[in-house]
Amino acid sequence: MNSREMVVLTDVKLITCIVQRGAAEDVINAARAAGAQGATVHYGRGMGVRERLGILGFAVNVEKEVINIVVSSEQVERVFESMYLAGNLDTPGAGIMYVTPLEKAATFVPQEVLDKLSG
Amino acid sequence: MNETGDHTPAVQRRMIRYGDFVREVNLHHRRLSFNRLTPAGERRGDGSYRPYAPERLRLDVFEVSRLVGPYSATRFLEQTRAVAPLAAYLALFQLLILRAAVADSWTITLGLFAAIVGLMLFMEGLRLGLMPFGEAIGNNLPRKSPLWLVLTIAMLLGIGVTFAEPAIGALQTVGTIVDVHKAPYLWLLLNERAGALVLAVGAGVGLAAVLGTLRFLQGWSLKPFIYLSVVPTLLLTAVLHFDDDLRVVIGLAWDCGAVTTGPVTVPLVLSLGIGIAAAAGKGNSSLSGFGIVTLASLFPIIAVMLLAVHVASGTGPDDIIAAAEAAQRTAAPGWWTFSPAAEIIGGVRAIVPLVVFLYLVFGLILKERLREADIVLFGLVLCVLGMIVFNLGLTYGLAKLGAQSGGIIPAAFAPVDGLDASPMYGFVLGILIAMVFAWVLGFFATMAEPALNALGMTVEDLTAGAFKKRNLMLAVSIGVGVGITVGVLKIVFEIPLGYLLVPGYTLAAILSWLSNEEFVNIAWDSAGVTTGPVTVPLVLAMGLGFGNAVSAIEGFGILSMASISPIVAVLGTGLWVQRRARLRTDEPPRSPRLAGNPS
Repeated sequence: MNSREMVVLTDVKLITCIVQRGAAEDVINAARAAGAQGATVHYGRGMGVRERLGILGFAVNVEKEVINIVVSSEQVERVFESMYLAGNLDTPGAGIMYVTPLEKAATFVPQEVLDKLSG
Repeated sequence: MNETGDHTPAVQRRMIRYGDFVREVNLHHRRLSFNRLTPAGERRGDGSYRPYAPERLRLDVFEVSRLVGPYSATRFLEQTRAVAPLAAYLALFQLLILRAAVADSWTITLGLFAAIVGLMLFMEGLRLGLMPFGEAIGNNLPRKSPLWLVLTIAMLLGIGVTFAEPAIGALQTVGTIVDVHKAPYLWLLLNERAGALVLAVGAGVGLAAVLGTLRFLQGWSLKPFIYLSVVPTLLLTAVLHFDDDLRVVIGLAWDCGAVTTGPVTVPLVLSLGIGIAAAAGKGNSSLSGFGIVTLASLFPIIAVMLLAVHVASGTGPDDIIAAAEAAQRTAAPGWWTFSPAAEIIGGVRAIVPLVVFLYLVFGLILKERLREADIVLFGLVLCVLGMIVFNLGLTYGLAKLGAQSGGIIPAAFAPVDGLDASPMYGFVLGILIAMVFAWVLGFFATMAEPALNALGMTVEDLTAGAFKKRNLMLAVSIGVGVGITVGVLKIVFEIPLGYLLVPGYTLAAILSWLSNEEFVNIAWDSAGVTTGPVTVPLVLAMGLGFGNAVSAIEGFGILSMASISPIVAVLGTGLWVQRRARLRTDEPPRSPRLAGNPS
């Protein structure tokens, strides 16, 4: 049997936030200030609202940044709200965000944290 | 609030009080079912669903401002970062070292503001209005049309983009500073024959686009191209050098080479070239984008010198002076020669022909329909508007400030009319101050150039990290600093430009012969990226103002020195990097041998 141990985290949720290229940094900083541990960004192209804005669509970049942040179920509301405010998602064309329940996650958890929790 | 997986018994079920949840939440939440926002779907008579077409969104003023506000703010700041430090440096230097206040400071401030706004509008218009054409043509034309047609279009495109280049307007603006009595041919080329001058430069760029494209289609090395274009350029320079009337044109011709490669030319011509290479299945060569910029800086020099020879064979210098004086005496210039009408006409004339040409190629040859036509049209309007505002900024801001600083700096070492305190310092100290001023200007203007940053990253990728971005940026910036310093000295001591250019380019050619292909491409292209739409007018105007203040015949040539020295600097750094890499690979085999291990 392998001597290595795997820490499986439960009560995890995924926040996905899609914003215009260049806007991810502010959103991630807000999420981290609200307690998020880390973030992953990848690039994509999006469409929809740009076409419906007509000539104003020039201000909406088709290139998007997709931010993935894994959070605990207790902090999800706070992080979700901070990201909404930081990304100004209440403006047209700014982006969209959603929360997905995750079954489990696994990553590195420092030994001292584990000791403290079990102790 | 808390889901607990049944398969993980280790986790305790934890209840959260609703009060705790409310404390976490700061915003008012309104719940709305998404079902109420999405269309239900209408059926046609035959039972199939009708395709859904969303309505236009209607925004009120507040929402529009929230959408457009941050968008414009970031772009405005981007251009401010390019203009403000340079302008502040010139003004502060004038104020602190030469103790002369900036004259017309309000006009200049407004002019600089116009330059920033104009550049911002122009760059955005370029992205929205011109680049879609460029990309579509670059991607599709080479696959649909025979090679000769593609190359013809590349040639015409080269001419079109030259007219649209913001820095080209600077040539005409500073042309008014030239004194017809001292340099009649120079005056003629910059004023009455300004159209022919730009056309010659454009033809050079077009030819460069054609040969550059053929080069990476065939995989030819850049080196023979460099030798074959540098040698005739230097020979022509030598011919002009021995003609007393034409000698003054050399500086202009070489400076034109530096002006050509700006924010319009590089992306549009490159997108066509890369498209051609991709259609031929050779687009994956990492170096395919390079080389065109180099040739586009060399060919216009030849074209302008040939134009000068042609003009000189037609009219003598005395005729020009007589004609210019006659024109001044009958002085009834039309409204179109005055600002701002001149700037508006200039802006329209720069952009519209290029757009018409691109549209014709797009519609008649590619037979494609434009997507998002309203946004493209909006982009084109922005382009023209931006060009007009930028031209105004050139006249009242960049060129004016540059000419003023250039006119005042000689006060450090020589008597200047209108400044009682001049010369303010001893001759040697004053010259040193002017040299330091020129070097710092060149160094920091280049370090701030965004194109150099982009080139640095490409180069670091290309050489697998051997040539660090920082090294390249430093080499180019130090090179430009030295170049501008030498250019200033050239004006002060009236050194004929040929004495500086011939050894400089000969050295560059020898270094190219020693270096490998990659470094040659990088080095010769790095000279092209250093001269953006902000640096060019400032440096050109500064040189001419400087030249007038020290009563030199002409003040051109600074930009050409700023092109050659980074080439030498980068080639030198490249050789050093190569040498170090070779030393490193030499070492490992030596140590095992010492240890007695034959492997």
